[in-house]
Amino acid sequence: MSRFAYFFRETLISLRRNLLMTLAGIMTVAISLFLFGGIVLLNRMVDHGTAKWKNGVQLEVFMRNTATQGQIDDMRQTLANTPTVKSFRFLDHNAAYTEFKRIFRDNPALVRNIAPGDLPTSYRVAPRRAQDTENLAVQFHARSGVDTVITAEREVRNMLTATRVIRYVFFTMAGVLLASSLFLIVNTIRLATFARRREIEVMKLVGASNWFVRVPFMAEGLVQGAIGAGISFGLVIVLKNVLTSLQTHKSVQGLFNGFYVTNGDALTIGFMVLLIGAGIGVLGSTIGLRRFLDT
Amino acid sequence: MIRFDNVTKVYKGDVVALRDVSLEIAKGEFVFLVGPSGSGKSTFLRLLLRDETSTTGEILVAGRDIGRLGSWKVPQLRRNIGCVFQDYKLLPNKTVYENVAFALEVIGRPKSIVGSQVPQILDLVGLSKKATNFPTELSGGEQQRVSIARAFVNRPLILLADEPTGNLDPATTVGIMRLLDRINRTGTTVVMATHDQRIVDAMRRRVLELDHGQLVRDQARGVYGVGS
Repeated sequence: MSRFAYFFRETLISLRRNLLMTLAGIMTVAISLFLFGGIVLLNRMVDHGTAKWKNGVQLEVFMRNTATQGQIDDMRQTLANTPTVKSFRFLDHNAAYTEFKRIFRDNPALVRNIAPGDLPTSYRVAPRRAQDTENLAVQFHARSGVDTVITAEREVRNMLTATRVIRYVFFTMAGVLLASSLFLIVNTIRLATFARRREIEVMKLVGASNWFVRVPFMAEGLVQGAIGAGISFGLVIVLKNVLTSLQTHKSVQGLFNGFYVTNGDALTIGFMVLLIGAGIGVLGSTIGLRRFLDT
Repeated sequence: MIRFDNVTKVYKGDVVALRDVSLEIAKGEFVFLVGPSGSGKSTFLRLLLRDETSTTGEILVAGRDIGRLGSWKVPQLRRNIGCVFQDYKLLPNKTVYENVAFALEVIGRPKSIVGSQVPQILDLVGLSKKATNFPTELSGGEQQRVSIARAFVNRPLILLADEPTGNLDPATTVGIMRLLDRINRTGTTVVMATHDQRIVDAMRRRVLELDHGQLVRDQARGVYGVGS
């Protein structure tokens, strides 16, 4: 108990003594981890928004809710007989409802007000060649019982390309910033050990264990990393709420194309960020301690 | 208690600090380590503390080969070896009491032990009345007493002293030597490196003389220099 009190006191004293360096370390950790967390969050959003366009699916044919079973079967026949269609899959009311619930799991009121029968059935179609998409869309739209056909528009494609570029740029920036926050922590710990070199000398002389000497400095690095990560955790949650509030203004049809993020996504990313922050703190102090405490 | 078996220490650049030194120091002995600067006295003490390891040869402390100790066991060795230096190495921002208590706190001794041992040892070195003073408010002799109190508060088996009287005047030196003698009489082995001819000649204890890293004299009830 008294040992814990000792570590706590020493860590606090040391953090206060290097206040400016400590703040610089915390802020760099926070900014770099927020960049990192933010880009992962946006990534998740793009993943969700483009999930249905995986495996070569380029268009989705929505049937009218009033469509007869005969019209639905006709459509299936047409798809099966069209040579430029590689594959297709039918989503009935229940499948649509399952997907709907997944997308809006953070919005139970909306889910309560929608029954499976309210949602249109659809075919998801993968053409053999992407350039056939537009022709197929026109062709299928003319069939009876078809409400609308949406395609993986050029915008989505462009967006995927754009996000890939942005992703690399941001990841690189986050990486550089993380590295510099690591160096800042290393430097802070070096200053701290230098400021207390007399005490360290005496401690080693009278036989304090290596861990006893080390723990206050490790804790100092850990605190810096963790506080920085805590700030970026908060920022990631804020970003999630901003993105969600943008989403709810869209129309219901737009919701289906929805680029959304869930609380679960934000929390997972938040904890990832916390772990990285704490890891950087400990790594930084370990490196910072190496020079002084080698026996 | 301490045994050197053919110990040689070579520093980088082929500087030979100790050359094939073999000796044995029994429990409870008081030994002077003499010799000119650069003769290997400090290396001798640093090897005992496992600050450095010997290039060849074995050093045994209480029967254990300290060259083979894992680095996590070095603190245990040092808890059994008290250490006093010419420059005292006191912490200026701590009081006399805190400086001594620090040595017990950082090896995890409980508060109750600290509370009973520190006043006792301050009494032994005669500084009970200065417990709340800071080192800068003390004379050199008093500071060295604090340093000795810190080295001895954990009751080590061995006390090493590297020129403990190097900065002190003759009258103060006598006081410090009385204190070390008293500690020695509790059964603690004392090894003291010194240049001070008068105290060596006055105390008539075992003398080990080093010259250019070689043990050139091992004399019971010896004097500082041969023929003096």
